[in-house]
Amino acid sequence: MRTARRLDGRRVLRFASGLDVPLANLAAAGFLLVLVLMIMAYALGVGATALGIGDALRAVVGAGIGDGQAFALWQVRLPHILLGFMAGWCVALSGAMLQSLSQNPLADPGLLGLSQGAMVALMVLLVFFPGLPHGLAPFVALAGGLGVAALILFLVGWDQADGLAILLMGIALETTLSAVASLLLLYTPPETSYALSNWLAGSLFGASWSVIAGFAPWFALSLPVILLVGRSLKSFDLGDETALALGENVRRSRPAILVAAVLLTSASVTAVGPLIFLGVIAPHIADAISRSTGRTRLVLSALVGGLLVVAGDTLTRANTSDVALPTGLAITIIGVPLFIATLRLRALRTVQ
Amino acid sequence: MRSLILILSLFFAGAAMAQTRPVTDDAGREVTIPEDPKRIVTLHEPLLTLPLLELGMPVVGSYGRGDNGESLLALDFIENVLGADGEALGISGIGAPGNIDLERIRALEPDLIVGTEHDAQKADQLSAIAPVYLQNSRSGVVSGFEAEAALAERFARTDTFDAKKAAYLDRVAEVRDSLPGNPGEETYLAIIIYDQINVISAMSGAIQAIEDLGYSKAEWQGAGKASGYGSGFAVPLSSEAFGRLDPDVLVIMNSYSSDERDEAAIRARLDRIVPGWDRFLKPAREDRIIFLDSGATATPTIASAEHTLDAFEAWARD
Repeated sequence: MRTARRLDGRRVLRFASGLDVPLANLAAAGFLLVLVLMIMAYALGVGATALGIGDALRAVVGAGIGDGQAFALWQVRLPHILLGFMAGWCVALSGAMLQSLSQNPLADPGLLGLSQGAMVALMVLLVFFPGLPHGLAPFVALAGGLGVAALILFLVGWDQADGLAILLMGIALETTLSAVASLLLLYTPPETSYALSNWLAGSLFGASWSVIAGFAPWFALSLPVILLVGRSLKSFDLGDETALALGENVRRSRPAILVAAVLLTSASVTAVGPLIFLGVIAPHIADAISRSTGRTRLVLSALVGGLLVVAGDTLTRANTSDVALPTGLAITIIGVPLFIATLRLRALRTVQ
Repeated sequence: MRSLILILSLFFAGAAMAQTRPVTDDAGREVTIPEDPKRIVTLHEPLLTLPLLELGMPVVGSYGRGDNGESLLALDFIENVLGADGEALGISGIGAPGNIDLERIRALEPDLIVGTEHDAQKADQLSAIAPVYLQNSRSGVVSGFEAEAALAERFARTDTFDAKKAAYLDRVAEVRDSLPGNPGEETYLAIIIYDQINVISAMSGAIQAIEDLGYSKAEWQGAGKASGYGSGFAVPLSSEAFGRLDPDVLVIMNSYSSDERDEAAIRARLDRIVPGWDRFLKPAREDRIIFLDSGATATPTIASAEHTLDAFEAWARD
């Protein structure tokens, strides 16, 4: 392992296997990781119960605290932080994968209808079969997301599918499913409709250790996904024809990437609701921090996604006003200005 | 000494266990609730807090209230229905509406949390704080005072409920005698106005009072069909169908989320939706309309039913 300079002039860390990782990307990953840990530590001290960051950190490593403080720490704050990070990680990862797959910077699980597929399936379960066990929810969400992915591939044609066709068909299905969701909201009892609206706005209320345990396998799945699809996405970034020319088996890898995105998205939707727009903004913010492709872009995007959800949830808990601040809205409040700033920065760089 | 401590511990543990009992709530969950809860948190103000307060139960936290007990909802139901002050009753909030805060609930140290069947998804989380009892509240499943009667039976407050109901039934008889005609042979229809006109089917104290007076529900075009906007409670009615309504008594109220709910406000709102309604609607021409304040009469409590009786009595007097 040694440092070297690539043909494009970027300094890289070159491994014995031939793998090059730009030093700027490593620095960006380190910076984001530190930022994530700092936000997480800060989030431990935010909430209605008087429990400072210092006390919380000491309690995490075994110091004694009061019952109320222990409840706040172990039953509320830590589950929120961990589940929020994992869900944000998965949604942002899906967004980054779909953007490369469709060669469109606007693509995300929401725009392609994958989130809506999982969301509508869950809404149908909650509205029409409220008595069924809650444990079915992840599988129902997964079925909804996979159903949409299969429908997209079927409608655009398994063989002919190009990125733009997938995106346009996804938008059509997303529009239809959003209409179905509105209809379900309209024709359910007010209390059910209100509860669904809260969930649709993004919520970590249900965060608990059992939910985290249920989500952990999906989060763990994201790691091999990053390793396996990173190289393919690098090819897709260059366009379908170039990807084919580079030896990418598009017919096999495209549905595989789509299925991976569905799995991660559906798990997140089940846990925290559809975090609309996160899949779009996180990869762009990651790009602004450090330009990257393939696996590195996936990791940086996922870190930004996790960071934004933890920050959004912290803002929600810090909100002491009498007006509700859903987590989805808090993420938007934090993420959109960053997104706009990155776009302005990119525009300025282009002019220069 | 150690033996004495052990015996005392076992005695008090036994006493504590005797004060709880396992029950099955309306969502079919097995839950161990206190025999005589001392600190209750509720997840719905009009459907749960009000019936529990009417039964004299100690509610310390209620959805839709601020930290100081002030109402954060469009309407202060405790004040409008019970004429009480949530702040003075010591009822705190449990987070901004839509953002239930587990830490705030925990800080209230409840020994029981009562929710509706719509709160089933939250029950697991809340159970980490106190036992969660879910009470049916949905239209078509319970109506009138049924939810309050069920809560009274569950928490050994049937004496309080029966006494209030007996006084209410005396008042029903008194108001019935003051009404023109024979309610037992007459029909009614109740309307609530949101951004459109809706027929109320069940649930509220108002409907309980009207039917206890003897009125029976009139047939109307569209009755029995699938409906939107919370099927069961309020069923949308077209302006054309509204114009053809002719029950013996037509009850009309504005939405409880509106600040203006008196007769003048209701008339003004109807004028906007169906201009000239008071000239072609037969009950309006023949003075067979009763205007109700939904903020006082729409909850499933005896107090709401009594507000309705007051309105009927005033109508009969005029």
